Amino acid sequence: MKTRLSTTIFSLSFFLMFSLSLFSQGKSVISPYIQLQYFKNSDNSHLLKTTLTYSLNRMEIPLQGMEISFFSEAGGKKLLGKTLTDKIGVALLELKEINNLSLTEEGGWSFSTEFKGNDTIEAGSSELSIKDVKLEMALLEVDSIRTISLKAFTTENKKEIPVSGEVVMVYVPRMFSLLSVGEASLDENGSALLEFPADIPGDKEGNLTIISRFEEHPSFGNVELRETKQWGLPSTNSAPVAHRALWTKTAPRWMIITLSVLLTGVWGHYLFAVISLIRIKRESNKQKKMKS
Amino acid sequence: MQADKKLLKDLTPELESTGTGWYITFTIFLGLFIVGIYGLVQQIDKGHIVTGMRDNVVWGFYIVNFIFFMGLSYSGALISGVLHLFHTGWRKPIIRMAELITVISLVIGPFFIFFCIGRLDRLYFLFTHPRIQSPITWDVIAICTDLIGCFIYLYLSFIEDFAILRDYDELNVAPWKKKLYKILSLGYDGSPIQAKLLANARTIMATMIIAIAIIVYSVLAWIFGVTLQPGWHSTIFGPYFVIAAVFSGTGLLIILMWIFRKVYHLEEYITQRHFINVGVLLTVIAAFYGYFTFSDYLTKWYGSIKMDSILIDKLFSEYYSLFIFANYIGILLPGIIIAFPRFRTIRNITVAAVIALLALWVNRYIIVIPTLETPFLPIQDTRPDWIKYSPTWIEWSLTFAGVSIFAMLFMLVSKIAPIISISEMQEKDKDEILK
Repeated sequence: MKTRLSTTIFSLSFFLMFSLSLFSQGKSVISPYIQLQYFKNSDNSHLLKTTLTYSLNRMEIPLQGMEISFFSEAGGKKLLGKTLTDKIGVALLELKEINNLSLTEEGGWSFSTEFKGNDTIEAGSSELSIKDVKLEMALLEVDSIRTISLKAFTTENKKEIPVSGEVVMVYVPRMFSLLSVGEASLDENGSALLEFPADIPGDKEGNLTIISRFEEHPSFGNVELRETKQWGLPSTNSAPVAHRALWTKTAPRWMIITLSVLLTGVWGHYLFAVISLIRIKRESNKQKKMKS
Repeated sequence: MQADKKLLKDLTPELESTGTGWYITFTIFLGLFIVGIYGLVQQIDKGHIVTGMRDNVVWGFYIVNFIFFMGLSYSGALISGVLHLFHTGWRKPIIRMAELITVISLVIGPFFIFFCIGRLDRLYFLFTHPRIQSPITWDVIAICTDLIGCFIYLYLSFIEDFAILRDYDELNVAPWKKKLYKILSLGYDGSPIQAKLLANARTIMATMIIAIAIIVYSVLAWIFGVTLQPGWHSTIFGPYFVIAAVFSGTGLLIILMWIFRKVYHLEEYITQRHFINVGVLLTVIAAFYGYFTFSDYLTKWYGSIKMDSILIDKLFSEYYSLFIFANYIGILLPGIIIAFPRFRTIRNITVAAVIALLALWVNRYIIVIPTLETPFLPIQDTRPDWIKYSPTWIEWSLTFAGVSIFAMLFMLVSKIAPIISISEMQEKDKDEILK
């Protein structure tokens, strides 16, 4: 009987495990989406960023822990480095010796990124050509008007060529995202002026961080400058007077009293029940002693 | 402590031996439970994206199950507490089942909250940074308080039986069980002082758990009621939830009575009279429940507030069949079956209870989901799957895992203590019960 029972349980467990293993069958190969971006930061550092994702039910799902290779294409393919994607599917590579890289005929850089793929994910690659741009920002007060002066130029044969007709975005960081302050269109001299609003709250001293950017530019990529200036309104973060309300830190008195009375009443009765149990046990011990 | 020999012989065989059927049933439930665990692992690994919950419908099956199980628990507490306090003669064979429903459901219910929380690692904030203005904090305090109270109450009701089993020499059980009975009986031997202490403690705890059950389930209802969401912002949600809970618990009690009567051959103890009495209770509660439901929807419909009107239109279009099942068939059919004496067979009453229980679950579903699918403000560039909720197999598997663990715990407890309280049965009016 026991043998039959064991056989039944074993068979059921086996069936269950087999059924579970079926869930993992029939996986299709993933076609990833690979994107390469270039960033030039305010501290003159240069970054390459590869994002590896795939689409599932119209949702973008990151691919984590994948090895991404970065190459310089000008003057022959040269490996710049390899990194793994993080949990949001991003692999970053800092280009420390960018000035030593070969230039293309147009005087720019050519980068590529590759993901070799594996059994479940297809391989992918992406390329990007970048022309180095120098962005300059000066924060001036012209006739008491706060003005941002922007200048952008590229270098060809050691000559400065102004960047004209392009748009530079200007932002101020806020708590959750960047606040757009305006867009500056560069003229034929590669210059632009932008009036800065006078009513943006800053920190205690009125400091604001001002960011100017080329964003996702087809030739320059992402180029950013940051500068801090006392152009904001000083913020007074004095805490509101504490009072008891539904939405403040301290609850209304009636609420605390009601809860305390209720909990004391209930837990008091629990205590009574537990004490009764202890007394039952003691009574039993007493009777045992008397009998012995 | 001695007990009636016949009672012991009739009610203890299940403690002594376990049949093949028990093992097979247990294995099936265990299988379902394992599938649920597999689903949970998937959810932990991939996140809530594997569920049907999205930006709008942030509460799905898990919250429905949470409310449902908590409702079963509170109803078990109410029923057992009331039956104990009023010394209802026919309570004796069924009171333990009601007590077990209370504790087992209360243990399972909160797990569904854990499944629903996106950042489970922050759960302890509820204890370290509580805001007593928040209904969520009330709920945490209430559930913890209720859990402790119900365990104490259940334990108090078991002490006499543990003492009886400890002193029953002919009981052929494993030594660890004997040792367990000895420890848990606290040396109780039915002396007048001990009996008085135990009776007082039980009466106090019975009163307490009735009060707590009402408060705690009202608190759960207020989590919905204090929001300004269409369909939830209602002053009668507290009592409505309490009545609905008792309705579901009574239904479950009838189903368990039928199962244990059949499986453990307790026909002599759980008779048609018990089914009719609990069935009548179900009908009376169904009437109150129907009254509350009608009152709630009538007020909303007549008020014609825009969002309420949209919600009610949705209930009578997209959710028409579920609405009719939950609020018409689920309320009226049990009433009709039990109201006419010629229909009052054990089988019919059990069928009515099954319908009532399913209808109540569906009722919870149509309280939670359609409201969340009716947002005040539309999301920009929204996708249909952000608005429309559709449960995934993971949510189904965890739902069935909840039912399975409920059944498994019931089965395990029935192997440690009799499913009918021996001490209750041998009280004075025992003969009346056995008639």
